[in-house]
Amino acid sequence: MGKLKVGVYGITGCAGCQLSVIFNEDEILDIVELVDLRAFPFIKEVNPEEEFDCVIVEGLVADRGDLKTLKMLRRNSKMLVSLGACACTGCVPAYRSFTLKENYEHLLYRKMEEIKDVEPTPLDAHILVDHYIPGCPPEKKEILSFIKGLVRGSIPRPYQSPVCVECRQNGNTCLLDQGKPCLGPITAGGCHAVCINGGFECWGCRGPTEDMNLDLMVRMLRDRGFDDKFINDRLRTFAGLKLPMLEKVMSGKAHKTETTFRGVRVFYE
Amino acid sequence: MSKTITLNHITKIEGHAKLRIVVRKGKVARCELSSVEGSRYFEGIVKGRKFYEAHEMTSRICGICSCAHVIAAISAIEDALGYKASMQTKELRILMTLAERIRSHATHLYFLALPDYLGYDSALAMAPKYRNELKQALNLMKTGNGIIKILAARDLHPVSATIGGWLKLPEQEKMAEIGVLLEKALPDAISTCRLFFSLKYPDFSTKGDFFSLMQKGEYAVLDGKFGAGKSNFDKSEYRKFISEYHEPYTSANFVVRNKKRYFVGALARLNNNFGFLRENAKKMLKECPFTLPSTNPYHNNAAQAIELVHCIEHAIDICRNLHIKKEKVVKMKLRSGKGIGCIEVPRGTLWHEYTLDSKGVITNANIITPTAQNLLNMQEDIREILPSMLNRKKEDIILEVEKLIRSYDPCFSCSAHFLEVEWL
Repeated sequence: MGKLKVGVYGITGCAGCQLSVIFNEDEILDIVELVDLRAFPFIKEVNPEEEFDCVIVEGLVADRGDLKTLKMLRRNSKMLVSLGACACTGCVPAYRSFTLKENYEHLLYRKMEEIKDVEPTPLDAHILVDHYIPGCPPEKKEILSFIKGLVRGSIPRPYQSPVCVECRQNGNTCLLDQGKPCLGPITAGGCHAVCINGGFECWGCRGPTEDMNLDLMVRMLRDRGFDDKFINDRLRTFAGLKLPMLEKVMSGKAHKTETTFRGVRVFYE
Repeated sequence: MSKTITLNHITKIEGHAKLRIVVRKGKVARCELSSVEGSRYFEGIVKGRKFYEAHEMTSRICGICSCAHVIAAISAIEDALGYKASMQTKELRILMTLAERIRSHATHLYFLALPDYLGYDSALAMAPKYRNELKQALNLMKTGNGIIKILAARDLHPVSATIGGWLKLPEQEKMAEIGVLLEKALPDAISTCRLFFSLKYPDFSTKGDFFSLMQKGEYAVLDGKFGAGKSNFDKSEYRKFISEYHEPYTSANFVVRNKKRYFVGALARLNNNFGFLRENAKKMLKECPFTLPSTNPYHNNAAQAIELVHCIEHAIDICRNLHIKKEKVVKMKLRSGKGIGCIEVPRGTLWHEYTLDSKGVITNANIITPTAQNLLNMQEDIREILPSMLNRKKEDIILEVEKLIRSYDPCFSCSAHFLEVEWL
């Protein structure tokens, strides 16, 4: 059996996730030997777009060109992987959905058809995603273990415990206890709580955990003196589109929540 | 007879760009370089957010320059609040900027630019024959990334740098560790220089001016005046000199100074500041096959290689002289006002401007990235270099044009759409 045909693509994004693949400095030269890396336009000149076994896609859908590329990739690949926060949750660019149009209206201008804007959305709003590697940026080692798993035929299961678990293991003092708006309790871990290790509160870049208690999170933030605008803004910055229940929770109408993260498509078709 | 060359997806650059050239009767009738990256409207979405949230959000503009956007945003906000960072904070910020330049230049030189010159599809395809060179590149990238990780927890989208100081200061032993990493990387940087000096660059001269920050006695990083020679201005005056306009075929804006195009980046910095290079970088300059100032944009690759050596030496100096004191993050006194951050980042000069209200809420933002500033110069250079190669094969023309584009080290993720539009 030949090597698996793999492609790495980027649609609208910051190229940081593709860099996270390359920035495995000690392993990259060997890891690409494990597969047939047919396409990686970021660092390759010739990129045949035929039958892939797996494509790894960075970025979110922000214009018509993105949508076209994404659909082509889905058609041409047996497996499609969302790499990074933009692809998984929409990340900061999708936060635009929650801002006032007048905030960015002055930036809009006449554009040709092919680069016309669409609603900023993660990949699974448009196509079926087989696997998610979340995070902004994604963990480099997680990308490696995915590729190794792909070759072996056993793809690692996503980490499901909240950031708090690893944070405590690292011996950090709780930032919420210090009055900081840390989203660790509802955010999927697997990042070694890297931001909190660096003194910075979690903004939720890896998206919500499946069994999060959003209701409690909101109450904790309110108890620490944060106003509703701030809480809304902060929760929506990285994964707003994956928290459709937020409004109801904020107004006290919903207490039990379900998430739409990782393959469960509820509100887009 | 008319001939059209369309490059729908220029590979080996950050982001997505497209080039359209139409040749009629042996003359270039059209030459349009456009960003086809989707719009993300960063300047719009930070509006209404608190002053201390801007850098965390604008960092997402670009992966490879995330430190740059963080520091530019922080300096702009501190400028608006009338706060001057402590010496230690400033040195740490410079160190982080230099580390980022090391990893970014190494990535660009080896992974995006070099395969063109050696005739390969990609750097990975070069591995069997050029394994040592690639190991050098990866070591340089690892050094830059390692330093940023020590300073700011994450190498992409760093988190410890903040307004008013540093959330978690690196320990003194860590500074020594960084110093060792850098010392080990210096020989790799020097051989990178020699490698890029040995390449054959096409002969070409751009008509654009070479602008960068300039500061007395230092190869400017975070401070200085913007311009070239005696023609320069303070960052607070940038709106008077720099304007932006838009064409419908692209999702990025063109930027001009006094209606004239210009070049920013490693070659501009080197042209303006080469007198302040550190020891080894100066030695490399003597081995350099061309003389400075150079107006050939292809030389930007060699300039980046020289900067690699200089950045490593500058960073080593910082590690030797900096004794980390315990400093708490300073709490800002709020006031309304406008602030500008202007710093030298891997691809050139980066501008961030924010307006705050008296409660510390961002009411306006403007960001001008290096690639946006280079875009017009890049397009016009292509237009000017084309006539000299029209009789060659289409594939050859494409390769030469791509080489030219890549020598600018453009980042179309960055340039796309966050420029305020002014119709000229």
